[in-house]
Amino acid sequence: MTLNIPPPDILLQLSLNGALGGAMYGVAAVGLSLIFGTMRLIFLAQGAMIILAAYFVRALFYGLGIDPFLSLLIVVPVGLGVGWLVYQGLFRRAAAEEDRNISLLIAVGLMFLIQNLMTVVWGGNTAAVVTSYTASGIEILGVRTSFTRSMGFLIALAGTGLVVLFLRSTLVGKAVRAASEDMEAATLMGISPHRVNAIAFAIGISLAGAAGVAVATTFPFNPFAGFIFSLKALVALALGGIGNVAGALAGGIILGLIEAYVQYFISGGWTNAIAYGVFLAVLMFKPEGLFSRPYKKA
Amino acid sequence: MANRLLEVNNLEVAYGDVGALWGVSIHVDPGTIVAIVGANGAGKTTLLKTISGLLKPKRGEVFLNGVPLAGKAPEAIAGMGIAHVPEGRGLFRQMTVLENLELGAFQPKVRKHFRQSLEKAYTLFPRLKERAGQKAGSLSGGEQQMLAIARATMSDPSLLILDEPSLGLSPIVVQQMFSLIETLHRQGVTILLVEQNIHQALKVADYAFVLKTGELAMQGTGADLIADPEIQKAYMGVLEVQ
Ligand SMILES: Nc1ncnc2c1ncn2[C@@H]1O[C@H](COP(=O)(O)OP(=O)(O)OP(=O)(O)O)[C@@H](O)[C@H]1O
Ligand SMILES: [Mg+2]
Repeated sequence: MTLNIPPPDILLQLSLNGALGGAMYGVAAVGLSLIFGTMRLIFLAQGAMIILAAYFVRALFYGLGIDPFLSLLIVVPVGLGVGWLVYQGLFRRAAAEEDRNISLLIAVGLMFLIQNLMTVVWGGNTAAVVTSYTASGIEILGVRTSFTRSMGFLIALAGTGLVVLFLRSTLVGKAVRAASEDMEAATLMGISPHRVNAIAFAIGISLAGAAGVAVATTFPFNPFAGFIFSLKALVALALGGIGNVAGALAGGIILGLIEAYVQYFISGGWTNAIAYGVFLAVLMFKPEGLFSRPYKKA
Repeated sequence: MANRLLEVNNLEVAYGDVGALWGVSIHVDPGTIVAIVGANGAGKTTLLKTISGLLKPKRGEVFLNGVPLAGKAPEAIAGMGIAHVPEGRGLFRQMTVLENLELGAFQPKVRKHFRQSLEKAYTLFPRLKERAGQKAGSLSGGEQQMLAIARATMSDPSLLILDEPSLGLSPIVVQQMFSLIETLHRQGVTILLVEQNIHQALKVADYAFVLKTGELAMQGTGADLIADPEIQKAYMGVLEVQ
C-alpha cells in the first residue's frame, strides 16, 4: 500500500465531509451520554429512535408537505414528550433496581420493537426524503459540500450547544449533572432520581429527533439502519469520554474524520473495522476519553 | 417526649440477610448536639442512612417532629428538613464550589432564600467565597469538608446530620471542624454527629449514644460518658495508644 499525500484541497474536502457526517454520530452520542450519565444505562435503542424520527420527518414531508428542516419544530418537542413517556412507562421501575441489566434488556427490546414496527408500517425497503435542495451544494472554506450535510452539522452543533447551556446555566441542568456524578448525594439534596432520569431521556430522545431530521435529509435509510447508528454513537461516546456531553459531539466528529480518511487512504471496506478497533483501543488505553481532565482520576 | 425533633424507635436494618442494626432507639431534641459513637462497623453510618431514607428499615420507625418517615424517599426526607452530609462528603467534585452550594438550596422551599443563605454560608466559610469558581474536587480535604457542611446548611435544615466530618483531616483542621460545629450549634442548628474521634465528640455533645456491633450499648450526656470508666477503657484508651 502506497500512501499518496493528496493535494490540500482534497484533504480539506475529505476532512469537511468527515466532520459533517461525524457530527450526526456526535449528536446521537450526546443523547447516550445524558442517559448514561444519570441512569448508567447504554440506551441501545437511540439509533432506532433516530430512524423512527427520520420516518416521521418523511411522513410529515410527503404527507403534509412540511419541509424537513422546518419539521424540527415538531420533532424536537415530540421527542421531549416521547422521551419522558419512554422513561415513565418502560424504565421507571427498572431504574429503581441496582442491577442495570434489566434496563439494558428493556432498551434492546425497545430497539427490536421499533425496528419491527417500522418494517410493518413502512416496509423494509430503503426510504429517502428528496427535496428541491437535496442535491444542492454550498461552498465552505472554498470547498464545495452538500447543503443538507452542512445543515445536519448545524443542527448537531445547535442541539449540543443548547444541551450544554441547559446543563451549565439552569438549576435543573445542574441537578442533572449532580445526579450523573453521584446519584445518592443528589437525592440528599432533594433531587428526585426519577425526575432527572426522565429529563435525561426527554432530552436524549429529542436529540434523536433532531438527528433524525439530519439523517432523513442526508442519507437513504431503512428500519434496521439504527443499530449501526447506536454502535457508532457508542464509539463517539467512548472517544469523547463517557459523561462529557460536548466531548461526545467532538468524539462523533473525530469518528467521522477517521472514517473519511480510512475510506480514502485505505478502502471503504475497512471503515467499520477500524472504527471499532479505535473504540477498543480507547477503552483499553484511555477509558476516560480523549478530553478528560486530570482531577477526574483523584 | 412531645417536642422531640427526631425519634428513632427499635430500628432493625439489614443488608440482604446480614443484620447491621438490632432494635436501636435514639432521639434528638431541638437545638442540641447529639453524638453517636462506636467502633468501626458498629452501624453508625447505617443508622444515619436509615434516618435520611437511603436505607429502608426491616422494622422500627423514624419520626421527624412527630411525622413518620416510613416509606418516604430520601429526596422527600431532605425536603422535610433533614440535611445529611454523608461519609466521604458526597461532593459533586466536577462542579464548582458555587454550584455545589446552589444544589444545597435545590428544594423549591429554600431556593427563594438562596442569596441570604449564600451570604450566611460565605460569612461562616470565607474560604469558600474565594474559591467559588473552583471545582470542588480541587479543594483541600479540609475545604471539601467545609463545603460539604456549608452545602448542607444552604437548606436551613431542622436537623443537620454529619457522618464522620473529621475523617482524614489533620489535627488542626479537626479542631476547626469542631469549633465550626459549635458555632453552628450556637446559631441554633440541631446536629446529629457521628464520630470516631470520641473524646472530641463527647466534649461538644449535649447527649450521646454508644453503638456496639449494631446495638445500643450506652447513652447519657456527653459529660457523663466522658467520665465513664468503661467508655474510657473501651474507646478513648485505644485512641491514645494509636
Ligand atoms: N453496603 C453494605 N453491604 C453489606 N454490608 C454492609 C454494607 N454497609 C455496611 N455493611 C455492614 O454493616 C455493618 C455496619 O456498617 P456501618 O458502615 O454502618 O458501620 P460504621 O459504624 O459506620 O463504621 P465506620 O466507623 O467504619 O464508618 C458492618 O458490619 C458493615 O460491614
Ligand atoms: Mg461509617
